[in-house]
Amino acid sequence: MKRLLLSISLLALAVIAFGQAKKPIIMVVPSDQYCISRGYKMEFNNQGLKQVLPDYKTALQTDPDLRLVITKMGQIMADRGFPLKDLEQELKNLEQERAESSMLTSSSSGSEMAESPIDALKRVAKADIIMDLDFEVKRQGPQKYIVFNLKGLDAYTAKQVSGVAGAGNPSTAASPELLLEEAVLSHMDNFNAGLMRHFEDMFANGREVKVQIKVWSNWGQNLESEFGSDGKELSELIEDWFADNCVQGRFSLSDATENFMKFEQVRIPMMRTDDKGRQRAVDSRSFVIDLRKYLNGLGVPSKLYLRGLGEAWLILGEK
Amino acid sequence: MRKVLLGFTVAVLAMVMVLPANAQTRKERKILWNSQYNYEIEPVGVGQDGTKVFKVWGYGKDVGAAVMNAKEAAVAACIFKGLPGGAGSAPTPPICSQPNAEQIHADYFDKFFEVGGKYLQYIAVTNDADPSGEDRIKMKKGYKVAIYVQVMYDALRKQLEADGIARRLDSGF
Repeated sequence: MKRLLLSISLLALAVIAFGQAKKPIIMVVPSDQYCISRGYKMEFNNQGLKQVLPDYKTALQTDPDLRLVITKMGQIMADRGFPLKDLEQELKNLEQERAESSMLTSSSSGSEMAESPIDALKRVAKADIIMDLDFEVKRQGPQKYIVFNLKGLDAYTAKQVSGVAGAGNPSTAASPELLLEEAVLSHMDNFNAGLMRHFEDMFANGREVKVQIKVWSNWGQNLESEFGSDGKELSELIEDWFADNCVQGRFSLSDATENFMKFEQVRIPMMRTDDKGRQRAVDSRSFVIDLRKYLNGLGVPSKLYLRGLGEAWLILGEK
Repeated sequence: MRKVLLGFTVAVLAMVMVLPANAQTRKERKILWNSQYNYEIEPVGVGQDGTKVFKVWGYGKDVGAAVMNAKEAAVAACIFKGLPGGAGSAPTPPICSQPNAEQIHADYFDKFFEVGGKYLQYIAVTNDADPSGEDRIKMKKGYKVAIYVQVMYDALRKQLEADGIARRLDSGF
């Protein structure tokens, strides 16, 4: 009995010591409505269609209220163990990175760094959970009050994982800055409780990710082609693999043709044991690598394209 | 005459059937007062960073005992039930989101809430004087009083997280 208890304790200790799931990156982003309604926008003509996009850089450089709210939220989240990625700093870093990448050359041959158009396109501010923020100081006669709206969005599944909204108490004496601080203090505990529920669900039922299977146009075969000893269609084989490897077999194939399969609400395990017996965190990439290995075994080469912690594409036909 | 008798019988039957549902014996009322779920709380505004301010009611044989009961209820509400929204403040969730936390960690909370226990560390009473006026109700046996408290909500949460009673937001990552 003593030995059993000791083994269980050691196992638990090992999981605690080595088993750390991948921590999502959280970033506060002012909502499109907030930016566009205040004139922080960029307008351009997209093939005859007028397109309006939020201009985050101008918003962060010129709106002191927005900065105040983001700082306050950042302080609270850091206190809860989730330091936020700062959008303003990230935009500056990306600009700097862009400049350095274009100037950097190898000292021996003078070669430039390899960069495909897609690499350049990927150089944008990213987060796994976006705190979509919107607030407004409203007036009612001599009184001012704050309408506050904060949504926690999973960047990959586009699901709202937490959210708070409401109007504060009207006040004649308090400054808008004080009312804004009050709104953040008042709502953040509830917002974090929503996040906590999301994380608890994640640990109980697996991380929810999105996986897309696509086909290169020059492959010559498609997802309806038959593979394996029993001549099953490739789409069927892939679906069976998902059923075998998802937590409790949970996933939904939301759309499919002979050229693509779109898997949503795919529940992948948070941790797994690798070949060396170590506990490793699982993300969409490591999950889809296993699928790629399985398909390689069937004679289907593929290219893995990662869109972040929670979304990956597997393009069949070649690397 | 028959109609009158029938009407009377129906009225008596209706009363007999309805009364037990509404009637509350003194014993039941006392259980309700002592229940850990029966916290009477009225939000009064948004607290300073990391704190919650509200008005809480307590019961006791004398005013002092009722004030102590109110302080206990204030901390217990933050831990198990959460605080209602109002007066500009949004609802606050309980620190222990785990169902039946008070039973699962009964030994811990018995010690935490003992007379002069650690819970007092997280209470700042905004008014030290005995409650008066509408905040002090004399009952048949004892008092019901209301006090304005400031609970160090974040410090309380951190203590419970450190003691392994509440789950940290970043636990597992």
